[in-house]
Amino acid sequence: MRVKLNRWKTSLAILFVATLCVAQSPTAFITTDIRRAGDKLACLCGACKNTVGTCQMLGCHYAAPAREKIAELQKAGLDDEKVAAFFVKREGLKAFAVPPAEGFNAMSWIMPPVAILLGLGGIAWWIRRSRKPVLVDELPAGSADRVRAELDQEMAKFD
Amino acid sequence: MENIGGLCLILAFCLGVYSIFASVVGAWKQKPFLLVSGQRAVYSVWALVTTASALLVYAIMTDDFRIQYVWAHSNKAMATIYKFTAWWGGQEGSLLFWSFILSTYTAVVVFTTRKKHEYRAMMPWITSVLMFTLVFFLMLVAFVEHPFRILAIGRAATPMDDGRGLDPLLQYWTMVIHPPFLYLGYVGFVVPFAFAMGSLITKQPGDGWIHTTRRWALITWAFQSTGILLGAGWAYAVLGWGGYWGWDPVENASLLPWITSTSFLHSVMMQEKKGMMKVWNMVLVAATFFLCILGTFLTRSGVVSSVHAFAQSSLGNYFVVFLAVGIGATTWLILNRLPYLKSETQLESVVSRESSFLFNNLILLASCFAILWGTLFPVISEAVTGEKITVDAPYFNRVNIPIGLFLLFLTGVGPLVAWRRSSADALKRAFLMPTVGAAIFMSVLVALGIHHVYAVISFGLCFFVTATIGSEFWKGSKSIAAKDQVNLLRGAFELTHRNTRRYGGYIVHMGIVIMFIGFTGAAFNLDRTVEAKVGSTFKLGRYDLKVADMKGGENENYVWNHALIEVRSGGSYITTLKPELRKYAVSGSQTSNVAIRRALNEDLYLNFAGMTADSKVILQSYVFPLVSWIWVGYWVLLIGTLICLVPSKIKLQYAKMEVVGIARQAQPVEN
Repeated sequence: MRVKLNRWKTSLAILFVATLCVAQSPTAFITTDIRRAGDKLACLCGACKNTVGTCQMLGCHYAAPAREKIAELQKAGLDDEKVAAFFVKREGLKAFAVPPAEGFNAMSWIMPPVAILLGLGGIAWWIRRSRKPVLVDELPAGSADRVRAELDQEMAKFD
Repeated sequence: MENIGGLCLILAFCLGVYSIFASVVGAWKQKPFLLVSGQRAVYSVWALVTTASALLVYAIMTDDFRIQYVWAHSNKAMATIYKFTAWWGGQEGSLLFWSFILSTYTAVVVFTTRKKHEYRAMMPWITSVLMFTLVFFLMLVAFVEHPFRILAIGRAATPMDDGRGLDPLLQYWTMVIHPPFLYLGYVGFVVPFAFAMGSLITKQPGDGWIHTTRRWALITWAFQSTGILLGAGWAYAVLGWGGYWGWDPVENASLLPWITSTSFLHSVMMQEKKGMMKVWNMVLVAATFFLCILGTFLTRSGVVSSVHAFAQSSLGNYFVVFLAVGIGATTWLILNRLPYLKSETQLESVVSRESSFLFNNLILLASCFAILWGTLFPVISEAVTGEKITVDAPYFNRVNIPIGLFLLFLTGVGPLVAWRRSSADALKRAFLMPTVGAAIFMSVLVALGIHHVYAVISFGLCFFVTATIGSEFWKGSKSIAAKDQVNLLRGAFELTHRNTRRYGGYIVHMGIVIMFIGFTGAAFNLDRTVEAKVGSTFKLGRYDLKVADMKGGENENYVWNHALIEVRSGGSYITTLKPELRKYAVSGSQTSNVAIRRALNEDLYLNFAGMTADSKVILQSYVFPLVSWIWVGYWVLLIGTLICLVPSKIKLQYAKMEVVGIARQAQPVEN
């Protein structure tokens, strides 16, 4: 009985220590509106490539306060574009999860389809080139007759 | 011991340089003794690098914390298997590991080709290219990032009581084997490159080197696929949010050579069967090799920010020089040897298997380019505009999902189009049923309420490809079963054995289809984060989750806490899951040991993320539909790859039709 009690005490003590070790502040919950606006913004914590809307790291030093800010801005009546604009003003263009399709950064979107088009062009050129017949000089006079005679001679062996 | 290790590395470097010198001069001056000497130097280098590696592993195993590397990446509390992984857990050790694998590959190549007369002229150059790459890595490990550096204050070695240990996140079983497989893949691609360069230098762009290279490329491709999938499996099970692919630059770096090598494995068939695309294959082999080096450069230079990257170092400059020299020399060599790389045959029709390979190559490379472009664009943009931008997962998904779907479509089209040319009738016969079937399947999905456009297209294409592959097996097996009077299963086995490459390839395609089903499931993920007291219940999808109990404890490595979560669905008990939270004693870092209920239809994934001050459990819960199909798909892919490596029962001969030209004037023809 005494041994059992001691084991209980030990377990409780371990649980208490472990709980203290891992105790955190309450998690901030995410609403559909926050996720929608947050999906346009990059999580700049440096540890993931997710958006503010999809970062799953609890207590993330960037995504968690960013979500709180989004909620605050949405409460003040700002739409998603204006929320994004707020973050861009604060962080610069890196606040966007994807490069904006303007100026030099538009190249990020333009280049992949351009590469495919160039590749298609390359294939078309290669097919054209490889299917183009190679012109050779005409056969010397009488050579066709000579070949035909040789063939006849060979075939005659099978008669 | 550290002195012997260091000496081994310096000697290996010197012998590596000698091997290059002996091989090149021996081939140039036709001196057989130099050639033999150069090859023997390869074995010596292997022995020295192996000794150095063994000494480092011994130091790690025996907790020799005088050595800085051991102190930084191991500690006494770590399990033996994780101590072993510390060999490649840090910058210096992983470079030594690279060198060890490359020296082993080089020794294997030299040993297995020693009696092959067809490689006699090429072999010195193959050895030189392999050793040139090895010498580069030995230079880094011997003089720049030395693994046997001693912790010292002034001139006195300073032994430490304990080490800092391996990152707790890396103390997971897939992490034990993920890096070796990835490295076996990365390093393995050096061999096809060396053969390609050897054939170019000796002006022998024939079929011999391509057969050997294809086999090596296939094996290393399998290693690379395994490495990538193990990494994905690790991320899924360890990071606590169920993601298996995050489009991180280092993850992308591992995917790039995999894509180009996939491309090569397809286009190499054109060279084997039709004598076409010789230049293209050279370019693909070289691109794969340099993308491997680029990946290593990205991981180690700090050029792009990544959670997987090693600490920033001066290594970047060495890699830039190596890449510049290598790419420059290879480009010159290919251009110089263009006359030897002419196609032996011509494309007869645009509607042919040959064309489908061309499109497959184009789409694969477009995907490769898009990923490379997205990975490097932040650096390029900052250099041009002076402002930092972010290219995160949404960009890669937006660009690569359509490309991936088109590739999936081509996977289904390719096998049904005949070599040389396909008639409209043949195409109709081959595609009608799979296309109609896929259209009906997609309509059923929409009628069932699935309105996610990409998901519907993806499932439809998966159906289409499965139908085309299935019809190929069905037709062939039925024919053999009827002819040999055996059952259909035996017929399918016989069919595969007769042409292992073709039917093994179909099985690999099937693996990719199964993986796509798994990827598509991500469109329907569910997640919920709750703070719950013991005894409380919450809902996620069809599941009712009850926090039944919470327990804690400790061992010498970490303190743990786990929650017991009862899972019910529709009132019936399913299982109890036990997600765990750990805090490591030495590093002080906290990790989650997630609990997953795996099933083919969906995974229930619970992450014990933390506790609130008032003792509530913070639980992140997810439902990941179809994710298990990714892992199933990998096994199918691996089985298909292994089948491809089995020699076919029947040796097929492919006639190469050569059109030498047409006359300027029509010749008289008798009827």
